[in-house]
Amino acid sequence: MSHLLSCHSLKRQQGDRVLLSVDQLVLELGQTYLLTGANGAGKTTLLRALAGLDSARCANFEFEGVQRSLSPYPRKLHRRIGFVHHHPILFSTSVVANITFGLHATGASRPEAAQRADAAITWAGIRPLVDTPPQALSAGEKQRVALARVHAMDPVLYLLDEPTANLDENGRDLVTRLIDAISKEGRTLLIACHDRELLNLSGVTRLNMTAGRLEVAS
Amino acid sequence: MQLIETTQEALRLLFVGDSELWQIVWISLKISIGALLLVTPLAIVAGYLLATQRFPGRRILVVVVQALFAFPTVVVGLLLYMLLSRHGPLGSLQLLFTQTAMVIGQMLIAAPILIAFTLSAVQGADARVRETAIVLGAGRVRTALSVLREVRFGVMAAVFNGFGRVISEVGCALMVGGNIAGMTRNMPTAIALETTKGEFAQGVALGIVLMTLALSVNFAMSWAQGAGDQRR
Repeated sequence: MSHLLSCHSLKRQQGDRVLLSVDQLVLELGQTYLLTGANGAGKTTLLRALAGLDSARCANFEFEGVQRSLSPYPRKLHRRIGFVHHHPILFSTSVVANITFGLHATGASRPEAAQRADAAITWAGIRPLVDTPPQALSAGEKQRVALARVHAMDPVLYLLDEPTANLDENGRDLVTRLIDAISKEGRTLLIACHDRELLNLSGVTRLNMTAGRLEVAS
Repeated sequence: MQLIETTQEALRLLFVGDSELWQIVWISLKISIGALLLVTPLAIVAGYLLATQRFPGRRILVVVVQALFAFPTVVVGLLLYMLLSRHGPLGSLQLLFTQTAMVIGQMLIAAPILIAFTLSAVQGADARVRETAIVLGAGRVRTALSVLREVRFGVMAAVFNGFGRVISEVGCALMVGGNIAGMTRNMPTAIALETTKGEFAQGVALGIVLMTLALSVNFAMSWAQGAGDQRR
């Protein structure tokens, strides 16, 4: 059994409104999942719950073979689960400081952080951007820096919220290549995806959401 | 024309470096900057917590802070006077009519401004800043520092605003300081005193210093707010 993550009856409610009601979610190690569905179907809510940003109830949450709670969310899970916003925000420091942020936050030493950030910069092909102020970067460039920032932490699961939405063709191409590279590294990806943009990735499993419910699409 | 003569005399006092006058300016700056240095860190923490934490009574606290914003400074002075006077609960500390009492008074006056400004700056921050810090594994302190860093211009505006309020405040300083020459006489209390004595020159000179300071602070504040807006 190589389940990376499994949970049963994952629920999030706001008042009477059910935002999320997933009977079962199982993610296998090294798989890429595309989470599709209309606006408001609960794709972002599901990702945010798994990233620990929104509280959700879950009967049985297991990650890397260990029973965990989803809320309160254990801080150490952030090292293993990376999340990138729909429109990622960069701290208004520098590109390098953005990439080392998570490394410093999780206790990496300065030389180690510098070295891993450097590797992430090379990996994402963003070396030409390192001297540009983060707020001056284009949407596609921000997305790549955000991916590098998460990649530097080497999580086992990536949660990406519409990573290629609103990007021009070139940006979409570069970001898709990075996602493909993550998948080839044997990492697990759960990608919310509004349209068919990412379907040219090979070997993906499609999950479809409707009104907070999840189904495995054919 | 008395006004012209007075102004000429005031300018003379300013430019010949009248020691009494500059001592008053120095005392003013020392007390106000000291008060801000002490209260700013606490107020920023309070403002941040009010903006980000959800707990029972939070809304009431926010309303109280905003109400204290408009609290007359003489009333702050009155309450502090009663606390510090010889028969008051804190009378044994013998702080009444000292610079320390004035610093405490100015801290109380500046606190609601600093808290309310920080609160609104943090509330106005993009939620993704805080969330990004969290998902990258940051703890509470690092997350707070990241958010405050992003809204630093708003926080700076808060500090300038607080300074503008305390440097020109007369009621509380007069009551708990006592306007003792060379000790607790600051610019506003000196102006009030000189005017009642009919000696306008020093009052006008101090008024010029105070106006210049207030204008500089306002410029600094507009700059901070403008710089903050540009970043969006």
